[in-house]
Amino acid sequence: MTTLSALRQVLAASMVSIGSLRERYGTALVIVIGMASVVGVLTSMLSLTDGLTRAYVSPEDTDRAVVWAGGATFDQSRSLQRDSIGTILDAPGIARGPDGTPLADAEFLMVVPAVEGFADFSLQLRGIGPAGFKLRPAFRVVSGRSFYPGRQELLAGVGAAKRFGLSLGSKVHLPDGDWPIVGLFTYRGEILESYLVGDAETIMTATRRHGFAQVLAQLVNAEVYPKFEAWLTRNPALAVSVERETDHDLRLLGPDTAFFAHMAYLIGGIMALGALFGIVKIMHAAVRTRTREIGTLRAIGFGAGSVAVSVLLEAGLLGVLGALLGTALAWLVFDGREMWVWGSFRLTVSLHLLALGITWALVTSLLGGIFPALRAAKLPASEALRAA
Amino acid sequence: MPGIRVMKYMPLVWAALWRNRTECLLTLLALAIGFALFTTMIALNAAYEASIADARMDRLFITRRFEGGGMPLSYREQLARITGVTAVGGQLWLGGHEQDERHRILVMFVDEGMPAAWPELPLSQADWRALETTPAGIFLTHKAAARRAVTRGDVVTLTTAPGSRADGGGTWYFTVLGIVPDPPGWGQWNPDLIIGNLRYFEESSRLDERSMVNSLRVSVDRPEHARAVCREIERRFTNASVPLNCVPARENARELAEANINMRQVSLGIGAAGLFMILFLWANGMAESVRERLSEFAVLKTVGYGDARLALIVFLEAAVPTVLAALVGVALARGAIAFIAHLAVKGVINIPEMRALPGAFGLALAAALLIALVSAVAPLRRIWRMDVGAVVAGR
Repeated sequence: MTTLSALRQVLAASMVSIGSLRERYGTALVIVIGMASVVGVLTSMLSLTDGLTRAYVSPEDTDRAVVWAGGATFDQSRSLQRDSIGTILDAPGIARGPDGTPLADAEFLMVVPAVEGFADFSLQLRGIGPAGFKLRPAFRVVSGRSFYPGRQELLAGVGAAKRFGLSLGSKVHLPDGDWPIVGLFTYRGEILESYLVGDAETIMTATRRHGFAQVLAQLVNAEVYPKFEAWLTRNPALAVSVERETDHDLRLLGPDTAFFAHMAYLIGGIMALGALFGIVKIMHAAVRTRTREIGTLRAIGFGAGSVAVSVLLEAGLLGVLGALLGTALAWLVFDGREMWVWGSFRLTVSLHLLALGITWALVTSLLGGIFPALRAAKLPASEALRAA
Repeated sequence: MPGIRVMKYMPLVWAALWRNRTECLLTLLALAIGFALFTTMIALNAAYEASIADARMDRLFITRRFEGGGMPLSYREQLARITGVTAVGGQLWLGGHEQDERHRILVMFVDEGMPAAWPELPLSQADWRALETTPAGIFLTHKAAARRAVTRGDVVTLTTAPGSRADGGGTWYFTVLGIVPDPPGWGQWNPDLIIGNLRYFEESSRLDERSMVNSLRVSVDRPEHARAVCREIERRFTNASVPLNCVPARENARELAEANINMRQVSLGIGAAGLFMILFLWANGMAESVRERLSEFAVLKTVGYGDARLALIVFLEAAVPTVLAALVGVALARGAIAFIAHLAVKGVINIPEMRALPGAFGLALAAALLIALVSAVAPLRRIWRMDVGAVVAGR
């Protein structure tokens, strides 16, 4: 048998198999709904990790780096002393603004006292310096005005404002008194929108802190990073750690997303196992129901392989339909929905999740179709016709 | 008797189920996995709920109002004088790494006020006495001990920056005094718990780090006084060198749960999806089974079986596999729960301690009967409405 005729046979057998689905729509629907449940749960859960990652990590930020005091394992340690900042800004590879000043900014991070009804650490404050806005060209004050350096006033991200009921004129209690919110801002929909932003020097004076948390640096391009890192980490005058901003954000985010991703894959795996047994059962019953049909195909010369492949294709098709339905439902219900996990972000059912869902369903349904397909292939034509 | 009447139909039911063994077993497996998932999710939900319920309303958690640094240990005496306060204890966390730098370790030092201020800590009176007489001793919870493979009498080291100790060193040596149970709900926020004596830290740390704690735990006389006592504590310390923030432990646990990924809602959603899968699979299986055997039911009707008896037979046919699957599913769930607990011990996931719950078993059984009932409705309508003559005649 030539390859072409084998393909024709598979196509013809599949058409017969899929055509007969009309008479077996109930059982076919079980596979579709079952896979839709599996893929729906998987993609819904992963839409959270996808959304969180998008809020924290911007892939275009590979040409930015974060420098913090060596030994500090988290970025709020504020142990980067003032005398180190000048040395860090001298590092090779830092981009320069039109006025020739380095595009790098020493930042201060702190947690604002707990707002009643919200957990401690819920609201964070980021103190930025003169280069802070230049480093973030997408930063937009959408209401009110920006803060004036030296004044005890703050900007609130739109996410923080919504979550904590802050508006223009609201007061935030800090060690040196109540600081007013003078403006609301947006920033690419990123996690910074869940924070308050103010002048680093003014905040540090009020809180009697001397150390910065980190320096954020814009590099000339992503390729200069190794040189930049080597210069800083080998400099005997400094004791700092350096990371690309994307790697830094991913590391901080890791424990939250890893836990949920582990749970999603574990649960998706358990559900897929249940669906797998369901598919074997349904496809087994389908082969039983189609015994006469299969016998006829074999009697007129269709090969065992063609019949087996047609059964596998039917299972795969139903699985993919289920995956499309499950992802569509997850997209309708969850995509774009606002959530708060230590910051505001939107759930995202991305194309990547659609592809993952289809792969998940395809593998499950093809595995579920193997045993019935082999059974169909082994049906001798004479016996199949007699049994029918 | 109803029991005997039910048993009378069992051979008929069994024959119907067993007529296609392969498909029956596959259906049972699919249903069992669905029930295992449902039971596991119920247990997970219960674990998260317990982590909030176990945090008591009459325990207050006190931290600095403005973050950074500690608070004076001397606040204990001032707090103890506030009306409604029955006990005050101080706690301080010391973090570092073990021999391998990648292995983080965190010891919670507590003072002598803690047995009364936080009696839920899993230490017995004898344990507290042992901690008092051996200040360099520590107690590890099962999870913490399992992660480090240590037993009573072993020495655990904690390395911090050089110079963090009064002797100029940076390594702290602790003797394991015992292994204690994991406090319910603890694992959600910290993977494990190691309890040490604050006196040891006070005597061994640098002078400038002494007499400070990270937080204070306060016990109040009645849960309904908790908020009022908190307000009073915050008011009294508004202008202190370190202003205080106070929250009842239960509210703190709830706020933390809401600030994080809401696993309570997620687990219920997944459990519901699992049940939906089972329902759809089994309702279809039942409909198909009855459709293929309509002539059998027509014969039964002809020989005098009434609608109620047929309903009982169909319900039993629907319920026997779901109940069996629920039993197998609960057994599988126990394995899944043990596996998830193992992952938690290994640090792969961070969740409160899960236990196999009798309540989850009851829910699985109730769900099995409900699914059987719903799955039997459509086939029964078909049986009740069929034209017996036509079916017997094969039309």
